[in-house]
Amino acid sequence: MDPRRYALGTRLALAAVLTGAATGIAGAARGMTSDADVVMLLLLAVVFAAYALGRAPGLLSAALGVAAYNFFFVAPLYTFAVADPRNLFTFAMLFVVGWTVSALAERLRREEAAALSRRTDELRSALLSSVSHDLRTPLATITGAASTLLDPLVLLGPEARAELLGFIREEAQRLEGLVSNLLEMSRLAAGPVALKKEWVPVEELVGTALRRMDGALNGRPVTTALPATLLLVEGDPVLLGQVLVNLLENVARHTPAGTAVRIEAGKSAEGVRISVIDAGPGLPPNDPATLFEPFERGADPRGPGTGLGLAICRGIARAHGGDMHAETLATGGAAFSLVLPCGVPPTFPEDHA
Amino acid sequence: MNPAPLVLIVEDEVPMRRLLRATLDAHGYRVVEAGTLAEGHVAATTHNPEIVVLDLGLPDGDGLALVRSLRTWTRVPIVVVSARGRDDDKITALDAGADDYVTKPFSTGELLARLRVALRHAATPAESAPVVVLGALTIDLERRRVTRSEVEIRLTPTEFRLLALLARHPGRVLTHRQILREVWGPNAVEHAHYVRVYLAELRKKIELDPARPCWLLTEAGIGYRLGDGLGG
Repeated sequence: MDPRRYALGTRLALAAVLTGAATGIAGAARGMTSDADVVMLLLLAVVFAAYALGRAPGLLSAALGVAAYNFFFVAPLYTFAVADPRNLFTFAMLFVVGWTVSALAERLRREEAAALSRRTDELRSALLSSVSHDLRTPLATITGAASTLLDPLVLLGPEARAELLGFIREEAQRLEGLVSNLLEMSRLAAGPVALKKEWVPVEELVGTALRRMDGALNGRPVTTALPATLLLVEGDPVLLGQVLVNLLENVARHTPAGTAVRIEAGKSAEGVRISVIDAGPGLPPNDPATLFEPFERGADPRGPGTGLGLAICRGIARAHGGDMHAETLATGGAAFSLVLPCGVPPTFPEDHA
Repeated sequence: MNPAPLVLIVEDEVPMRRLLRATLDAHGYRVVEAGTLAEGHVAATTHNPEIVVLDLGLPDGDGLALVRSLRTWTRVPIVVVSARGRDDDKITALDAGADDYVTKPFSTGELLARLRVALRHAATPAESAPVVVLGALTIDLERRRVTRSEVEIRLTPTEFRLLALLARHPGRVLTHRQILREVWGPNAVEHAHYVRVYLAELRKKIELDPARPCWLLTEAGIGYRLGDGLGG
C-alpha cells in the first residue's frame, strides 16, 4: 500500500488517533499491566503508524507516545517531569523504533515500485521494437513508391505506375489496420472499457464482419453454420464484430490461399460460442493460451501482423465476462472461439396487424 | 443534374482538401472549398451548393454546428467525413440531419458513391417513387407488396414498415434512433434491439443468405442501409 494516496494532514491525524487509542487502552488496563506492557502498546501504535502511514506520522506517533507515557504512566504522574533517568532511554527507543520502521517500510515500497516500473519498461520496449518495425516497413514502401513515381528521371510504363500505386494503397491500408489495433489495445489496456451493451443477433455480427473482410480473405471460401432460430448475445456490437474481424484476418494471414473457412455459432451451458474454423495448418505446438498474449506471433515471429489481434480479442471477450479459446482440430485446422455468457434475452412487443 | 453539381468541401487538412478537389474535379463536379467552420458558413450561404462534404473535426469548432445551422434553412445533402472510432460523432451528425457519412481513411470510390446516393435522394423526394426496385427485390410502397425474383414475400406489418422506411431512402444510412422513431414511435428510441431483431427476421425472409446480406446491410455501431442487391 502507498500511504501517499492520502493527504499528509489526514495521515498525521490518524497517527494521533492511533496513539491516543493505545494510551487509552493502556490507561484502562492500568493495574493489570506493567510499564513494559504500556511501552509495548505505544510501540505498536508507532510501528503501525510508521509502516502504514509513513515517516512523519510514525515520528509524530513516537513523540505523542513519549509524551503520553511520560504524562500518564511515569512518576511523577500527570506532569512532564521525569524522576527516573532510565525513562529517558525508553523515550529514545520509541523514537528510534518509529524512525527505523518507517525507513524500512519506505524502502520496501520503493523496491516494489521499481520492480513494477521494470516490468512496465520491458513491456514498453517490446512494444516499441515490434511497433516501430511494423510501422517502418509499410512507410518505407510508401515513401519509396511515391518518390519513384515523382522522379522525373524514372520513366515508368502504365503497368509499373499502377503497380507502385497499388503498393502505396496496400501498405497504407496495412498502416491503418496497425494504427487501429494499437489504439484499440491501448484503450483496452487503459482500464475498464465503456461497453455499449445491446442485444444483437449473432447473424448480424457475422454478416458485418464478413462484409468488412470482403476481399481481404482473397477468395477463401466461407461457409456459415448458424442456428435457424434467432440467437442473441448481449454486448457491444462494434467490439464483438471486431473480434470476428480479427479472427478472420488471422485466417487470411496464417493459412494458404484457398483455405476453407467456416463460422459456427451455438448456445450451450457454457454460454454462446461463436467459432471461426479454418482448414489450414493448425496452431503452433506451444500452449494455445499464449497466443492471446500481446506481441505473441505464433510460430512465425517475423510474419505479418502486430501480435495484437488475438490479445484484443481476449481483452474484448473478458470485458464482456466471456473468454477466447483456441485449439487445433483433429482434422488439422485451427478453431478460435469467442464464448460469451448467455444472459437473459429481452422480450418484444407483439407484431399486431 | 445539369450543369455539374456544385460541391462545398469543408475540411481543414490541406492535402485532404486538395485530394477531394482533384477527385471531384475529375468526376465532373464543381468545387468550393472551406477550411474552417466560419468559412463553411459563409460559403454555404454565398454559393448555395448542391451538396456539402463536411469534416467533423474543424479547428474553430465542431462540424456538427454547421449541420445544425444548415438544417435550419436548407435541405442540401450533407455527407459527413470523420475518423474511425468516432461513431458517436457520426450518429449525432446523422440524427441532426446529415444525410450520410464516410469514415477516414476512405477510398474515393466510396465517397463518390455516397455523393451520388445523396444527390439522387435530394432530386427525388421519397413520396414520389411508389415502387423501389433493387436488383431482384421489388418493394411496392403503395400496394404494400414485396417480391424477390417475382415471388411474393409475406411480411408482418412491422416488418413492412421497417423495410418501407429503408426503401424510401435507398442506399442511405439510417441510424437506430431514426428507425426506432419512425417505426416504433418516439417512446421507443432507446430500444435498439427491436430494430436488430426485426431486421434479423426481415433478412431471413428477404436475403438468400441472411449471414451475408446484400440488401439489408448493417453499418456497425451506426444503423442500417438498404443495398442495391449486388452484394456488399
